Amino acid sequence: MSEGSRRGFFRDLASVVASAKEATAPPAPPEPPEPLELTEGEIERYSRQLVLPEWGTAAQLALSEANVLVIGAGALGAPVALYLAGAGTGRIGLVDDDAVELSNLHRQLLHFTPDLGVPKAESAAAKLRFLNPDVIVEPYQMRVDADNAGALVEGQDLVVDCSDSFATRYAVNAACCAARVPLVEAGVLGMSGLVMSIKPGRTACYRCAFPDAPVDAPRCADAGVLGPAAGVVGSLQALEAMKLLTGVAPAIADGFLQVDLATADFLRVKASRRPDCPDCSGV
Amino acid sequence: MTRSLDITALTCPMTWVRTKLELERMAAGEALEVRCRPGEALENVPRSAREAGHAVSVHGDTIRIVRA
Repeated sequence: MSEGSRRGFFRDLASVVASAKEATAPPAPPEPPEPLELTEGEIERYSRQLVLPEWGTAAQLALSEANVLVIGAGALGAPVALYLAGAGTGRIGLVDDDAVELSNLHRQLLHFTPDLGVPKAESAAAKLRFLNPDVIVEPYQMRVDADNAGALVEGQDLVVDCSDSFATRYAVNAACCAARVPLVEAGVLGMSGLVMSIKPGRTACYRCAFPDAPVDAPRCADAGVLGPAAGVVGSLQALEAMKLLTGVAPAIADGFLQVDLATADFLRVKASRRPDCPDCSGV
Repeated sequence: MTRSLDITALTCPMTWVRTKLELERMAAGEALEVRCRPGEALENVPRSAREAGHAVSVHGDTIRIVRA
């Protein structure tokens, strides 16, 4: 018997045995679902959120099973990733193609002076693993664009866009709408910013609210930003992410929150789905 | 069936954390007897349980909570 036919013989035999077993064996009783429990360490670590009336075992377990992609490991990505890791998010993917620069350190809380020159995704991932070793942190040193956004977003439970360019925001919004992945958008400049949660197909998307990028939109590098302003906006973004993942409170959807930190004014602006939106109208 | 929980070794807020998590595992109408030390826990746990909508009665150092 040749090697090829021998392999074929055993393969055939295996399938015969399998089908015979299938025919004679009584149907196995359905496995009872594994009761999901928090460990002693988790109860201790998350006790200050578990104690909240809105939070509890269900919310904690929902978070621990979540896959979240954070796009950008800078001024917004730092508080987002820190709070999500601290709160016990199951897996955090962190995308950034930049390296840590001295001018980043006044606002990007995950990076420190010895990190200068280190890829931000790696620098951030290292700190997050120190913060919470139970969280799976996956750094991706790459730049998100319209070509790769779809593949990055696929399979995520939530995307938090902490990028600093309108092109990236529109690419991420389009990809999240196409894949029906919830998204938290935000931006910060100077002492103001905005935050918006998007449930594709159900609430207004980023392009519904902002159909066109501003012609002369300044970038952070040009316009400047105060560290705590980015911290506030990023913290709001993290809170939105936790709301969307657990349902413990309604998210800022069908509109956005505009935050003026010079005057301490928080303004809720409504937005509606556009029937002609190129990103979400078909979703 | 009445469940029981001993929180005598714990301090605030873990006293209520443990009680709350135990209540979350129970069905409505089930009872939980929580044994705690006199003092802070005996004041706080019944109050938190009532605020969460459960029926509460205190017998000595034991708090009986019927899950809402």
